[in-house]
Amino acid sequence: MHLIVQAAILGLLTGGVYALMASGLTLAFGVMRVINVSQGAMIVAGAYVSYTLFTQLQIDPFVSIVIMAPAAFVVGVAVQLVFLRPLRSDEREELSLLVTWAIALGIEGILGIFYQTTLRATRPSYVNDSLTLFGYDVSVVRLAAFAASALILALLYLMLQHTRFGRAIRATVQNPTAASLLGVESNRVGAYGFGISVATATAAGAVFGMITPFNAGSHYDLISRLLTIIVLGGMGSLGGAVIAALFMGMSEAILAVEMSPTWASLWFFVILVLVLLIRPQGLLGTSERGKL
Amino acid sequence: MNTRRNRFSVTVTVVVMAVIAAACGGGSSSSSGGSSGSGKPLVIGISLSQSGDFSDPGHAAMLGYQLWADSVNKRGGVLGRQVKLKIVDDASDPNQAVTNYQTLITKDKVDLVFGPFSTLLTAPSARVASRYGYSFLEPAGGGQLVFDQKLHNVFFVQPAPTVNCGDPFVDYLSTLPAGQRPKTAAYPTLDDPFATPIVERARAKLEALGVKTVYSQVYPAETADMTPIVAKMVAAKPDLIFGGTQSLDAYGIVNGLVQQHYNPKFLFLSNGANSAAEFPNKVGANNTEGILSCTDWFPELKTAGNQQFVSEYLAKYGGTADTIDGGSAEAYAVGQVLEAEAKKTGKVDNATIISTLHSGVWPTVEGDLSWDQYGAPKGSQLMTQWQSGKLVPVWPQATALAAPTSPKPPWGG
Amino acid sequence: MRRVTPAGLARGGALTAAGLAFPLLVTAPYLMTIAIFTVMYAALATSWNLLGGFSGYLSLGHAAFFGVGAYAEAIVFTHIGIGGGYRPFAVVPLIGLGVAVAAIPVAIVFLRVRGATFAIVTISLLFIVQLLAFNLRSLTNGAQGMSMAIPPFPVATYERPFYYAMLAVFLGSVLTCWIVSTGKLGLMLFAIRDDEDRAHGLGIRVTAAKVLAFCVSAGLFAMPGAIWAYYEGFIYPQFAVDPLVTIGAVLMAFLGGRGTIWGPMLGALILVPAQQYLAYSQGASQLYLIGYSAVFLVIMLLMPRGIIPSLRDLAVSHNPFDRPAGDGESKPRTSGVAT
Repeated sequence: MHLIVQAAILGLLTGGVYALMASGLTLAFGVMRVINVSQGAMIVAGAYVSYTLFTQLQIDPFVSIVIMAPAAFVVGVAVQLVFLRPLRSDEREELSLLVTWAIALGIEGILGIFYQTTLRATRPSYVNDSLTLFGYDVSVVRLAAFAASALILALLYLMLQHTRFGRAIRATVQNPTAASLLGVESNRVGAYGFGISVATATAAGAVFGMITPFNAGSHYDLISRLLTIIVLGGMGSLGGAVIAALFMGMSEAILAVEMSPTWASLWFFVILVLVLLIRPQGLLGTSERGKL
Repeated sequence: MNTRRNRFSVTVTVVVMAVIAAACGGGSSSSSGGSSGSGKPLVIGISLSQSGDFSDPGHAAMLGYQLWADSVNKRGGVLGRQVKLKIVDDASDPNQAVTNYQTLITKDKVDLVFGPFSTLLTAPSARVASRYGYSFLEPAGGGQLVFDQKLHNVFFVQPAPTVNCGDPFVDYLSTLPAGQRPKTAAYPTLDDPFATPIVERARAKLEALGVKTVYSQVYPAETADMTPIVAKMVAAKPDLIFGGTQSLDAYGIVNGLVQQHYNPKFLFLSNGANSAAEFPNKVGANNTEGILSCTDWFPELKTAGNQQFVSEYLAKYGGTADTIDGGSAEAYAVGQVLEAEAKKTGKVDNATIISTLHSGVWPTVEGDLSWDQYGAPKGSQLMTQWQSGKLVPVWPQATALAAPTSPKPPWGG
Repeated sequence: MRRVTPAGLARGGALTAAGLAFPLLVTAPYLMTIAIFTVMYAALATSWNLLGGFSGYLSLGHAAFFGVGAYAEAIVFTHIGIGGGYRPFAVVPLIGLGVAVAAIPVAIVFLRVRGATFAIVTISLLFIVQLLAFNLRSLTNGAQGMSMAIPPFPVATYERPFYYAMLAVFLGSVLTCWIVSTGKLGLMLFAIRDDEDRAHGLGIRVTAAKVLAFCVSAGLFAMPGAIWAYYEGFIYPQFAVDPLVTIGAVLMAFLGGRGTIWGPMLGALILVPAQQYLAYSQGASQLYLIGYSAVFLVIMLLMPRGIIPSLRDLAVSHNPFDRPAGDGESKPRTSGVAT
């Protein structure tokens, strides 16, 4: 039992970081019907920038989030304007897969030129510190990463619920046509929404760089996980993404200790397929009957 | 309707014609670049991964190859012929590696080819080379699959097949008094073609020595988080952790053990812990003490030409001796073998290379090498240990620069 | 609806003749290797198009079927012992058939979702198959991989058998696509692509049509995998079940024009030689990835529906009577396919 609880704690902490990574992806889909396959590459880019800020200027990775996020927001708005807005809305969902795939390759190539392919790891002094709480070992960095993710997600939630802009986003997610009839400027919402999504990606990247070594090619693994998370949670649903990410983190950790890590990831996919059999729209997604 | 279709036909036809034209053009031009004679440069074709999964070790191999080429050219070349390397990228993709060796051999008509990085690319590439009667000196394809093909043109330029990694460690344990040996062992193993055979071999030998297996787990390559695996392993309280690791997972195991406050008496990691440049900054320099690993090369080794290799490397690329990747030494050794063969026979054609290298002993920076009929080397690997922040070879005693220490000291934090 | 036009016959005949003659005109082995991969991707893109282009269901997991085909070939070779030489080619059609049948339950499950969700869920199909290849060790030899014996073909024409096998599968795929697109199933698929709910409302048996398209597409996609396994001689889970295989096929179909008969082939003819040549000649610099991505972005933004539909639009714009009435944006979706 001790082992299962220990595994569940570890999985929960990891899942929290994945929740932050997935939040931007699901938000971009909700607002613009864009599946941003380059989200993984943007996370890795965030990890590199945070790594550089840490190694060159000794800026703590958690502090670097505050510096990087606004810059990433601007980049996101620009990417949306140049690459995503020109896509025709009736085909945007499908074409965005390919366009953002190309963007991901481009980011990988650029990062490869600057950083080669050596694995990097951001290692502040406290990286291997751990607390013992009630007999369970909890890594300080993972705990802090979880806390930072939770904080950012909470801010995101508050923004969506309580600001004018947040209401515009939610209206667009629920019904783009009605929202634009009510005077929501869908283009602006789309641009800002994508900017926020990229900002969360770089924030998650700063955290990611402390948890695991990475290189430019790390984005393939990341994006395949993130995509399954947002499908399981229900595309466009922030709450669903969080629940799915935590579920994935914990189930993989528990299965890894109880059964075997080689089968753990298989079970995740099997569960995903079963859930979609019963609820094709995902855990918290709204029905996709009619035009998606 | 007709306009549409006609335009379409035209497009298809143009593209098909263009492809055929390009193909024919390429075919005819290739014959002109071919012939080679004495005095002409010795062109050696190599496919290396410059992007994708193997780009890091691929880069290290490239440094080694280029260093050897520079060095031999300064000495007047191979039998008076200047060496010219033609290095192309396979993007870590076996399809591309096959195309590349085909192209190098049949279009560019290179004189010789050297091997790529990784068994996964070496095995199919060696077949291509074999088909055209090319010798295949290769620095990094030491997996069983390469030798199982029973190709006579393959020579793996390292002291021992990859699977023997744990042998010196087991040998060392067997010399310890029974009371100091580990009683229980855990085997976390990466599911890949290199790590798993290493562990299976070592585990059989250790069990024969009376070391009880208390944990054994294969984990997939894409395991993002090693901490749950470490948690389960720690619960089994093994004296020895023998990890069949590659890189990320090796770091994950060490960091997980530190975070979960568990210090085994012996910690052996087959790969990942043997990189002086990479390991300390992934796990913290103060956590490396006492960790064991295996390697085929070491900067301070007294092998043939090793001092020269190290000084040339530092002169050309800078850095310090302990940041030189073993992969560069392996690639350099490939060149040394060729040079020695040329000196001995006075010829550098593929048939002579293949027939000559199957017998005799060939001194390189990797040690004195010899091969069986399918290219598996007959020597042994080295066991290395982190001592006072440095990686040193500790076993077998004949080549060791220090004595191994046990048990492993506590983590630095 | 199904009629063999002289022009269509000429196109098909010319293509077949060009394909058959290629190895006789071009003997350089390295060009044959590139040709094998080109025809392989042409076959993959064409069979992917049968589902992804015709019905609009974008499968990103088709590489799973490629991998199953590759493993089936190696398993038949290793565990049943069919012998070497030309014999491994004989089982390729059986593998295609077997995969098509085995895909029925998979299709029924996965086709419950649509749109982007379908695209993403099919990725998990790919990972499930890859994990099985890693874990069913007694059958697949896990991460150690499987190898097949070296065929005793003469060096000078070593590539030819593989090339012709790939070509046969490719031509079979094109023929299948043509038959489907000009028949009742094609009409049903196009209706699903345009508006599935309406198609359902009109009484079209959408599930049956989708499942059939999925299975045929999967079976066709598996056959090049089987030939590839024999040609490569080695298969590993990560290369046999490789997301890049699907991505390659999808990119080629999009580039040439999905939903058309010849578009995917055109995409493969452009992309594969370019990619293989660029990696060979330019790969040393990381600029290769950036260049690839830039070219792709430009194509996607300028010709989002692919080369053939864009060219067709160009033709249409010169011929005002040919323009679909009342649709300013001229979607060729309902106008069937070029045959």
